[in-house]
Amino acid sequence: MTAVLREAELAAPVPCAHCQLPVPVGRLTGGATAYCCSGCEIVASAITANGLSEFYALRDTAAPATSTGRAYTELDDPAFQRVHVQLAADGTARAALYLEDLRCTACVWLVESAPRCVPGTVEVRVDLGRSRADVTWDPGATQLSSIARFLDAVGHVPHPYRGLDRDRARRREDRALLTKLGVAGAAMGNLMLLAIALYAGLFGGMARADATFFRWASMLVAVPALGFAATPMFRTAIGALRARRLHLDLPLSIGIAAGLGWGALNVLRGAGEIYFDSLAMLVFLLLVARWVVLRHQRRASTGAELLLALTPSRARRVDGEAIVEVPIEAIVPGDVVNVLVGDVIPVDGMIVEGRSALDVGLLTGESRPVEVSAGEVVNAGTANLAGPLLVRATAVGETTRVGRLVASIEALSARKAPIERLVDRIAGRFVKVVTLAAFVTFVAWTAAVSLGVGAENAMALLIVTCPCALALATPLAVTVALGRAARRGVLIKGADALERLATPGTMFVDKTGTLTAGKLAVVSWRGDLDAAALAVAVEAGSNHPIARALRDHATTPLVATAIEEDLGRGIAGVVEGRQVLVGAPPWVRARTSPHPVIEGWIAELAERGETPIVIAVDQRPVAVVGLSDPIRDDARAALDRLAAAGWRIEILSGDDPRVARRVGAALGIPEERCHGGATPEAKAARVTAARVCGPVVMVGDGVNDAAAMAGATAGIAVAGSAEIAIEVADVYLRSPAIQDIAATVDGARATLATIRRNLRLSLVYNLTAGTLAVAGVIHPLIAALVMPLSSLTVLASSLRSRAFQERS
Amino acid sequence: MIALYIVLPLALLIGGLAVAAFIWTVRSGQLDDVDTPPRRMLFEDPPTRPVTDVAES
Repeated sequence: MTAVLREAELAAPVPCAHCQLPVPVGRLTGGATAYCCSGCEIVASAITANGLSEFYALRDTAAPATSTGRAYTELDDPAFQRVHVQLAADGTARAALYLEDLRCTACVWLVESAPRCVPGTVEVRVDLGRSRADVTWDPGATQLSSIARFLDAVGHVPHPYRGLDRDRARRREDRALLTKLGVAGAAMGNLMLLAIALYAGLFGGMARADATFFRWASMLVAVPALGFAATPMFRTAIGALRARRLHLDLPLSIGIAAGLGWGALNVLRGAGEIYFDSLAMLVFLLLVARWVVLRHQRRASTGAELLLALTPSRARRVDGEAIVEVPIEAIVPGDVVNVLVGDVIPVDGMIVEGRSALDVGLLTGESRPVEVSAGEVVNAGTANLAGPLLVRATAVGETTRVGRLVASIEALSARKAPIERLVDRIAGRFVKVVTLAAFVTFVAWTAAVSLGVGAENAMALLIVTCPCALALATPLAVTVALGRAARRGVLIKGADALERLATPGTMFVDKTGTLTAGKLAVVSWRGDLDAAALAVAVEAGSNHPIARALRDHATTPLVATAIEEDLGRGIAGVVEGRQVLVGAPPWVRARTSPHPVIEGWIAELAERGETPIVIAVDQRPVAVVGLSDPIRDDARAALDRLAAAGWRIEILSGDDPRVARRVGAALGIPEERCHGGATPEAKAARVTAARVCGPVVMVGDGVNDAAAMAGATAGIAVAGSAEIAIEVADVYLRSPAIQDIAATVDGARATLATIRRNLRLSLVYNLTAGTLAVAGVIHPLIAALVMPLSSLTVLASSLRSRAFQERS
Repeated sequence: MIALYIVLPLALLIGGLAVAAFIWTVRSGQLDDVDTPPRRMLFEDPPTRPVTDVAES
């Protein structure tokens, strides 16, 4: 008999009315609106029921909806309110919430429409950049939990906003920088006008009294304004000096201080040059660069506490005969808790009664449900899918496995050492050379001419070599790269991340969701092809991953009746009067007559690492379907590209070691570099160990990868990642294509190349200006021309960078 | 050129007022969030009162 791979015979797929993903056959209603999952259906009905259909007109991205349906009663708890809720004088209460999936205009509109839908809500203001909503309500008319339920129902799962202190500190910092930027900008504009008058006077002649007046005016504007605006540079320079570290701000501060001091002295004594206009431009440009970079780095971040929100805040404790709902804090080890179907297990513990299937994806990344029964150990944060359980708690809160994982993620993130930036290394040498040159100039000119000329030329040297372009080299190149990368769907968290990714080393890749599609699909079919229609009809209503794979594979107009699902094992139903069974081999075997050919196929598919599923019609097995998580089409090419760039690729997966090896073999990765069955702790340990030998990049998507990402030199989170993984990662890819990882790494290298080119260019300018100053032929006008010219050159060079450039 | 001695301080004073105004906008938080307001202006205002037909007389 020949093996046939069945092609999916899909009609034009119907897009989900909410998220635009194709709707599986089983959920087609025949009407105009169909939804891909119950999540989307609930969210869409909540939106339309509240009269908020304008949402669909405003949005520019569509994403599958999440809605937990939780009650959020913990938000009304007095203990919570004491910490998070502020009461205003007019009797209203305010609280900040962190909202998931806040992406576009439509999301903002939807969330801010809450006052129309929840009576008693006064106002909801969204800050898109921070994914934060400030909610104001009337405590007499409604409760925070009602508003939270509304936000949840429309697909933005709310969490208490925990970054308030950090936000406040950052806001102070942002405002201070913006104030200085404004002051420097105004000073620059006015000083340039004054300078133009003075320069014109050089050529056209100018009364001495007028010139003195203009010089005094310049000084009175420049010294206070620039002295104030340049404080960030002075502060970093002094801090770096104290710590005996070299920093770019040191030569900048020397130049600025020398320029202001020397210029003021010259105004007072009524002779000598002033450089206030050039200095003002320098300070302004530096502050602009700082502000741009800061804005790129300030993105929504909520800290690892979010993970704890993944474990429930309440538990159902068994007290003798009764079951009482208590806050999670009231549970102590030894208590027995009752976990209903669909609930998340709140504690680490052992099952005392019940049998179920668990979704343990949070901890291990394993997408298939795990069967559990009495006597087995379960972890907090895993979801109960099938039957009610009684669990005796052994650990709660921070001592649970998920709690310890959070602690390790926080510890590893905090330990991430700042890398020594290329530009700071250069600045170190720069300071030495310039100070030495200034000293030599001073001594030589004093000996040759006079003390005055010596001081004049040495000061001019310090001022004109003030490395403006050097300071702009990195921010400009990084800003261009970050902007272009963001347009491609690659979000990079800052200059550091680019420098971390530029040197090749070891790259650990989590299998699920990166190398593979991350969901089961039909990859082989043995036996009767016509059985597909019958199987799909039976599986039409099921939410099991296997049912979804079968529905993706084929469509059918047939409808099954008398469907009985034996969770995690199989499903039975009647289609056109025929009894159809679809399920795992032992389950089907127990209900049908044995069949040697079928048994052979089962063994063959299992041998290849696929999950065999048997279809039986009227007690006779007719077909075996092989399911597996297929490898992405682009994975091989991307891995080859990375290997060519010098990266050593290793697979680090929580899946079965055999599966990891099979994926590795298909992608040309040697067996010893494919590590399967890795727990989150083991992943972090392996990453830490590999850092001894050089840079390590961790690519992943799950909570189970987050600790490893935090421990690596750089972490990359791919599309669909858990919030915590995105938080920890240095780079977040919006598309799941592994091609983008290769593009990111290439882009990082190209950006670093641009930075180097920028640094060389700016050094050339400094060398020229410095030589002129040493020779004693420098003039403020030359400085005023050289400085913008060098900055423009660096800008042009940055724009010409090939980093993240679309390939034509 | 005597006018300069009046005009220049005046110009600097006006510039200083502009800077003061800018600092006020920063301090009062108007520039804290520059991402959301440009989107918020796209929203339709809710009708303030029901639209009534203007009957032709």
